[in-house]
Amino acid sequence: MSQPTPAGLKSSARTYTHPGLPEPADKDYAVIGKSKPKIDAREKVTGQARYTADLKFPNMLYGKILTSPHAHARILSIDTSEAEKIPGVKAVITHKDVPTLKYGISPARWDENIFCIETVKFVGDKVAAVACIDEETCYKALKAIKVEYEVLPAVLDPLHAMDEDAPQIHPEYPLNKNTEIHQNFGDVDEAFRQADYVRTDMFVGNRTYQAPMEPHTATSIWQGGKLTVYSSTQSPHYFQYYIAREFGLPMGDVRVIKTYVGGGFGGKLEPTGLEFAGAVLARLTGRPVKMFYDRAEMFAHNRGRHRQYMKLTTGVNADGRILGVHADFIMDGGAYTSLGIATAYYAGAMLTLTYDFENYRFDMNRVYTNLPACGAQRGHGAPQPRYAFEAHLDNIAKDLDIDPLEIRLRNARKPNTITPNEFVVNSCEMVACLEQARDISGWADKKGKLPAGRGIGVATGSFVSGAGYPIYRTDLPHAAAMIKVAEDGTAATLYTGATDIGQGSDTVLCQMAAEAMGYTYEQMKIVAADTETTPHDFGAYASRQTLMSGAAVKEAGDEVRKQLLEMAGEMVDLPPERLSVRLGRISAKDNPEITLTFEEAARTFFVQKGPLMGRGSYAPPKLGGKHKGAPVGTSPAYSFAAQVSEVEIDEETGEVAVLDVWDVHDCGQVINPALLHAQVHGALYMGMGESIWEEVRFDAKGKIQNPTLGEYRLPTALDMPRIHSSLVPSYEIAGPWGVKEVGEGATLPTMGCFRNAIFDAMGISVNSLPLTPEKVWAALREKRKANGEDIWDPMACECFLE
Amino acid sequence: MQAIADKQGVKRYIISLTVNGDEYSPVIKGNTLLVNLLRDGLDLTGTKKGCELGDCGSCTVLMDGKPVDACLVLALEADGCEIITIEGVAQHGELDRLQRSFIDNAAIQCGYCTPGMILSAKALLARNPHPTEPEVRAAIAGNLCRCTGYVNIVKAVLDAAEVTA
Amino acid sequence: MYLPDFDYYAPESLTEATGLLMQLGTSARVLAGGTDILVKMKSGLLAPSALVSLKNLHELRRIRWDADRGLAIGALATHNEICNSAVVQEHFLSLSEAAHKLANNQIRNRGTIGGNLVNAIPSADLPPILIALGAYVTLAGPNSSRTVPVESFFTGVSRCALEPEREILTEVVIPPQKTTGSTYIKFGLRRSGALAVVGVAAAVTMDGNVVRDARICLGAVYKVPTRAIQAEQVLIGKTWTNDLLEQAGRTAVGCCLPISDIRGSAEYRRDLVRIFTRRALKRAITQGHV
Repeated sequence: MSQPTPAGLKSSARTYTHPGLPEPADKDYAVIGKSKPKIDAREKVTGQARYTADLKFPNMLYGKILTSPHAHARILSIDTSEAEKIPGVKAVITHKDVPTLKYGISPARWDENIFCIETVKFVGDKVAAVACIDEETCYKALKAIKVEYEVLPAVLDPLHAMDEDAPQIHPEYPLNKNTEIHQNFGDVDEAFRQADYVRTDMFVGNRTYQAPMEPHTATSIWQGGKLTVYSSTQSPHYFQYYIAREFGLPMGDVRVIKTYVGGGFGGKLEPTGLEFAGAVLARLTGRPVKMFYDRAEMFAHNRGRHRQYMKLTTGVNADGRILGVHADFIMDGGAYTSLGIATAYYAGAMLTLTYDFENYRFDMNRVYTNLPACGAQRGHGAPQPRYAFEAHLDNIAKDLDIDPLEIRLRNARKPNTITPNEFVVNSCEMVACLEQARDISGWADKKGKLPAGRGIGVATGSFVSGAGYPIYRTDLPHAAAMIKVAEDGTAATLYTGATDIGQGSDTVLCQMAAEAMGYTYEQMKIVAADTETTPHDFGAYASRQTLMSGAAVKEAGDEVRKQLLEMAGEMVDLPPERLSVRLGRISAKDNPEITLTFEEAARTFFVQKGPLMGRGSYAPPKLGGKHKGAPVGTSPAYSFAAQVSEVEIDEETGEVAVLDVWDVHDCGQVINPALLHAQVHGALYMGMGESIWEEVRFDAKGKIQNPTLGEYRLPTALDMPRIHSSLVPSYEIAGPWGVKEVGEGATLPTMGCFRNAIFDAMGISVNSLPLTPEKVWAALREKRKANGEDIWDPMACECFLE
Repeated sequence: MQAIADKQGVKRYIISLTVNGDEYSPVIKGNTLLVNLLRDGLDLTGTKKGCELGDCGSCTVLMDGKPVDACLVLALEADGCEIITIEGVAQHGELDRLQRSFIDNAAIQCGYCTPGMILSAKALLARNPHPTEPEVRAAIAGNLCRCTGYVNIVKAVLDAAEVTA
Repeated sequence: MYLPDFDYYAPESLTEATGLLMQLGTSARVLAGGTDILVKMKSGLLAPSALVSLKNLHELRRIRWDADRGLAIGALATHNEICNSAVVQEHFLSLSEAAHKLANNQIRNRGTIGGNLVNAIPSADLPPILIALGAYVTLAGPNSSRTVPVESFFTGVSRCALEPEREILTEVVIPPQKTTGSTYIKFGLRRSGALAVVGVAAAVTMDGNVVRDARICLGAVYKVPTRAIQAEQVLIGKTWTNDLLEQAGRTAVGCCLPISDIRGSAEYRRDLVRIFTRRALKRAITQGHV
């Protein structure tokens, strides 16, 4: 049935074989692959878990930041005198009191100051800060600071940000261009010429926000010339690096400690004004200063999902095989860069993963606007383009009369291939994911056979298992770990810089350590994410920790096991290779009579040789091509997922009820199935929220209209569908024990999947997110009008009110 | 409740309330919210602040047995009341069946919503020992969770209800 | 966030309470459940010099049925108390259901019916059903009290007939009636914790298939909850059909004047009024209870 490849075009991916060890035959693991309870569960269910806002220090002050009420304005004067007179106000600072070195998380564009110097660039931009004896006094002091502004014209529409006559936000970046990308792989024009069918669609993604339940807090303490910062962070390392840089300190004089973190989802990856202003206030007052954002300030700080305008053109064969794709995007970056350069590259880079096509062009402009800066949110730049592409592909399938699942199977990426933009894909069970999703959802019985108002849709997704390169240029390994076995062998402590923000990395890394050591999970303890006591790790982003931190932990555990078995060998007079250790019991492989406990051997080791310790580190191999932006999207391994969802639509009101979602994931070897499925649930939940409910809205002056959890509507327990999370067997050669990511991947297919289910149910395409009832209602009315139906006009009826 | 005025003329009030079975008589300002009294005054930081407007439920406590948002209750209004916070759920180091069920069902991720969720669920099971799934969802609909999609939380509450059956 | 400073009083009797209001002047406010007023105060929309808490006025919590007066609900009855009250469920199940649709469980445990009315936001969930059921409120002043139909209680967005410097809303009464069916439908943008985009309450008195009487009230589509009298007239005296209900729905759209805001456009809201008026009427006619 497949058609011949047009002459002169590459039609399927180059293949590749990873040099690593193949999948082991024996996978009889003792600790991994088991649903162990979370290591921090007891603290969390009893209220003992202390998050940054729960910490108190002797003599501690409270601090808050004064923000701009204007989207774009020149600061004419700042008068802090009235604020300083209020009893209980200990310090008031402005740009005159702080370093003026520009910072940011993306080294290519450091464009933020601790406080604005000449102009404010969005409603919420940082202007001044106070430190006071309590929260209430902070709010009163902020009100007493008088700032005179000259309001400037603002850029609020990203589509006009690059106009010649648009106001300039950063003088050094003309035409408000923050990131411009033009990538070309293969020959897209030729692919379109040879294609049987070429279609163009336009989609718009929504500006959403991570909305972790815990608002961001940071407490800064100076002792001598040294700074300690407790923060709600996803990466103590990047915080330490950027704080040290801003204040001209050696990194060793800055200690960043993560406490319990109440969710991050990308929003807590970069240091905020809370860390920088707090450090200055703490130094000035000589007292610990706790800085915090309230919920509305969290929305203003933002760094959430960019709004994207996505034009997609695809050429296909008559049988639906994709020959070439052109993605042409504009992204609203907001006032600063944040992680947006990477976001912009990710938006295009990740489109090549789930389907096999060789000709690809990606054009992107990330523009500055006078709105809060956008950054990385679960799935980074990928989810919206994925929504757009999955919707686009369904349009093509419908035009060609091909079943949507079938067109995906025909194009699905195969394992051991290389994408046109030079990503090496080892394990890839895209086909198996689609087939299983088809089977468990009852696709064949439902597609085209559901009652009126019901529909079923499918979409795919793929995500990195850790970024191939760190955020700033450095040759540090990406992860490191140490394990210290207690002197009597009854406990072992894992020291890791990996950052548990709720996803459960402390738990799975302890499982991995115990597996490697031949120990039990229950005896593991963990010290994590403290730059002074734990070895370096880049932290929680890009779904990197299970593979990368896990590889370091495995190496450390292997080293402990090796030393332990050497000791045990001496004790029982056998060569260590004839011994094995599992769950704390050492035994001879060929003589079950000979046994010894982990504790006995470890204690003897300590007495004879000192501390029993293991060390490990991980750096990925050199990855990616040579084109500009090639590093973004590289990863040692990629997860793959297919989702099917079934929806029911109220044909009158446009309300969409999602009934069931089936997610099938290829995420390699599973370390903790319960936590893994929980990650799928959460990623899907976030994708659902963005699909139907969530959108940050602005008024005509650039002020957020819905900075509350009442009007920025995260789905409640009553809104969620039945979720069926399922896995396909998979083994990733580049990951320890064959692992790869899961935490972000399930966010990717969701939006497109719902859109496609609505498309299936009603034959309407909603081309902008979120897929609100009103948009569905409007599309349904348009369709009825187009069909010549008589539509009653609610605006034209007789009005009985004056 | 007694009122006294400080040097600036700002009134302070002495109230009496029971928190987790213990009697307290704190001196508070009129504008002190129950959530701040618990967190700052009594160091019961298991009660979290997520939105301060009654939208998220992170600060849920039981007030005379009923779940309320402690961010929308004046401490003065809790004068004479019995408050249960998450710290009062386990007894003598023994976890409540709901707490155990949350652990066993992997219903916890970041843990920030967990105290409020458990207290909402506890109040539900107290008045309705065998709730249906929709009843569980309705009972926790005022507790937002950003991590779990509620899947395992609902399962944990239903499981804990079954244990009582 | 923080609350601005205020003086606090917790009077022991209604007389003491109204006396305090008189004494404290215009910037004092009554505190009932606090779920609205504390939000307004935190958001900087209101900074009363004093709060007069009604927490000690236990008699204002009672919910009673009296064959002559009907259902009398004390102003301090919380939404959950109304929702779970056997008396309410027996006589006006639709009110119990409306109370359940409000906000979320924690708010329903604190928020009161009196507060919900006095707060007077156009999207409030209780006024439409109370108006459809012909309820009235009692406003107690220092020396006298008066009753006002809920239908004429609201005078604008966040404005009502209560004189805040001397009166306290003490009771909501739903008189005995011949109504055979009533309901309230709320359309919000999620299933909990969302304000109504449109709310429609309907109460009908049926004689077989003939509509003897009908009352329709629309929420969130005008500055106050508003009766759709012209739509009611479409129905009264007629045998009901789906077409007739659709006609009533279309007519109801002429009885409202919704704005466009972040929750929905005026056009969408108007079409929703048509849809939900029709659906509410059908449910009230066919479900077989009030």
